[in-house]
Amino acid sequence: MVNLQKRVEGWPHVRGRYLSSSEERPASLQPFEGTHRAAEEVSKKRLVIKPPTAEREYLAAACGSRLSSICLTTGEVASTWTANGETGETSGKEKLADTGEDADGPPAKKQKTAASSATGAPNIIKLTSSSDGRHAVAVTDDKNVRVFEVHDDGKLVELTQRAMPKRPCAIQVLPDNSTILCGDKFGDVYGLPLLPELQPEAQERATIESPAMTPSNETKASFKPSATTQTVHTKRNLKSLESQMKQKNLTPKTKQPLAFEHKLLLGHVSMLTDLTYASCHVDGKERGYIITADRDEHIRLSRAPPQSHIIEGYCLGHTQFVSKILAIPSTNLLVSGGGDEWIGVWDWPSSTLRWKVESFGDSFRQAQGDSLAPPIAVSGIWLVPADLDGNVEGVVIVACEKMSVLAYCPVSELRDCAPGRQPRWSFERFDHTILEVVATGSMVVVSFDARAQDQQRLKAYELRITRDEQNVHSVTSRAAKHTQALLDKANGTTSETVSDKALDDMFYGIAKLCKRPRDEAAVEEAEEEAADAAD
Amino acid sequence: MDWSQHYPAFATQTDSGPEQNGSATATAASKTVTADVTIADIGCGYGGLLFALAPKHPSTLLLGLEIRSSVTTFVHEKILALRSQPPTLSDHNYTNISVLRANTMKFLPNLFSAGQLHKIFLCFPDPHFKARKHKARIVSPTLCSEYAYVLAPGGKVYTITDVEDLHLWMVEHLSGHASFARVGLEEVEGDECVGVMRRETEEGKKVERNGGRKFVAVFRRLEDPPWP
Ligand SMILES: C[S@@+](CC[C@H](N)C(=O)[O-])C[C@H]1O[C@@H](n2cnc3c(N)ncnc32)[C@H](O)[C@@H]1O
Repeated sequence: MVNLQKRVEGWPHVRGRYLSSSEERPASLQPFEGTHRAAEEVSKKRLVIKPPTAEREYLAAACGSRLSSICLTTGEVASTWTANGETGETSGKEKLADTGEDADGPPAKKQKTAASSATGAPNIIKLTSSSDGRHAVAVTDDKNVRVFEVHDDGKLVELTQRAMPKRPCAIQVLPDNSTILCGDKFGDVYGLPLLPELQPEAQERATIESPAMTPSNETKASFKPSATTQTVHTKRNLKSLESQMKQKNLTPKTKQPLAFEHKLLLGHVSMLTDLTYASCHVDGKERGYIITADRDEHIRLSRAPPQSHIIEGYCLGHTQFVSKILAIPSTNLLVSGGGDEWIGVWDWPSSTLRWKVESFGDSFRQAQGDSLAPPIAVSGIWLVPADLDGNVEGVVIVACEKMSVLAYCPVSELRDCAPGRQPRWSFERFDHTILEVVATGSMVVVSFDARAQDQQRLKAYELRITRDEQNVHSVTSRAAKHTQALLDKANGTTSETVSDKALDDMFYGIAKLCKRPRDEAAVEEAEEEAADAAD
Repeated sequence: MDWSQHYPAFATQTDSGPEQNGSATATAASKTVTADVTIADIGCGYGGLLFALAPKHPSTLLLGLEIRSSVTTFVHEKILALRSQPPTLSDHNYTNISVLRANTMKFLPNLFSAGQLHKIFLCFPDPHFKARKHKARIVSPTLCSEYAYVLAPGGKVYTITDVEDLHLWMVEHLSGHASFARVGLEEVEGDECVGVMRRETEEGKKVERNGGRKFVAVFRRLEDPPWP
């Protein structure tokens, strides 16, 4: 049986009516304003939303610090919202401090912070929506999680903004449409109510965390040193105590407890890279999970709240960072990718690696026509609709950093492929490096790193699955002309100039997650040092 | 993990055929151990606890985990030396203990499967005094979930420290975690592992010499609740 809820959750737009028989011609198309055009490319965050009672689908596009929604039927800009640096709690000065604190993060992130300080307004770095299409959630690089109400006419109205202790790096709204999962790169995953209670009592309850786990130190009183030279005996510990005592002023920068309800759900010590909600059925009952991935090769399965303190298993096998995971709704399949030359296809509830899709990197480089391209770094895994003999079928798409190739595989192939066989993937080369893929009702919009003037940065395609006489499938794309006409108006507008280096820093941070062999010794040393420096 | 390298005396060969010469992978794949590691000493340092527990649990496999490679090398060499002693000198041959260099805060689930361990020891962990470094502590709300994952229900986490604040911290987070309950005083005092932890760890001996206090707490891994 198809679970409608899950269908909608994992793939919200298949039911969209865009380009259905009642197709409308665009009446008037409002092109983006030239001034924030480049910024839009910079944050490359896009999303298609359709409020439940609305007639139309909207493409939400983050434009640096601006968030616009564009009607996909008319091409009109339905609303534009701008993050205001001043209304946030962070001043430029504090941002610098953040950069220091995030010092071990990929350099790209720091660049983003710098970029946002320059204009004064924070950039949007993550964008998602609730599965019912009523709310959009954006993360800005001032660590704020911002929730928007999506009106039927596509207008986006900011309802709340909440500053997290660390910069969020992965975000999702649970299928209950009332909880935001928010992971930061320090590895912690928090649960926040989508809409915080605004009554004053909520403030008092704000710091109550998961009853299953004690509060993290964020919310606790500062530490008073209770060790004395009498009780500390290792050289290491003694040194640390001494240095602590030398700092006469022992009042640590007391962290303000977060003034909104948040629960620490789970955490990795390693850098978190991606998270997703997934569910499976056992004895006719649905079980919800949070699946998290990290820089140290792990894919972890935890129960969904309220039992997220229970780890159910790990999908282990990657030998490099895992950067992206995709749980395919209505199946038990999880597709994972990162710094390995292969893609993993897992039966996740049993932690079984069904396929290592071998030579994936080679196929990418071959399709790219560049056999000397560096090892792949998976930058995106998406589920999109494709046409199969007039029916809508799911296709998994994989993109790798700095490559202009997309890899496709129908969900049916992953589901039905016999264990002894390798699932067949199709590879297609495009003219420019791929940044992001968004699924609309029946097609995909691909955003490219097409920097020169008058190049198409957004292109719309329809995917088609065909089978030859041997029943071997392949997936191909063809331009979706009507949608392209809408997008071209936006494509055609002029850009503000941003340096190539700035763009590179914004777009490409994933390969930096790789710990190269020569760094390994350094990493180990650093870990030992960390253990040694017991202060 | 090929544990037969660590515990050759417990290595078995499957019936899959004779050992193939020159094929390291075939050898590694065909070898396995007759028992799983069930006792882990996290941050084992120079291994005092391991060496003391080994003769008391002759048929159990114990593993020390330590992040400093110089220290694991020392422990490894000491184990090999003890194993090669003529049997007359010692009634125990230390074939049931081994040591591994690992950052347990990141790689515990890579080493042990769900519910594999019966006992985890956290002896005199580094205190990481500064509040800013609390996330570096070996006990945290989220790490407790990982300890619970590798521990079998009914298994125990043993903690000992001379730093009272760290003791309170560990008690707070382990008792506060829904997968653990603190073990009562009587049961703790009756547990011979607790005595070994107090007396035989290198740190325990130092604290003893200096007349310091030792704070002990033990926690039991509870059964997971049914799915909601
Ligand atoms: C104070 S010593 C205690 C040694 C021993 N347990 C004893 O009681 O004598 C703490 C040990 O934990 C080790 N350690 C610290 N962090 C670690 C980690 N993440 N993984 C493994 N070992 C760690 C340190 O290297 C150090 O040897």
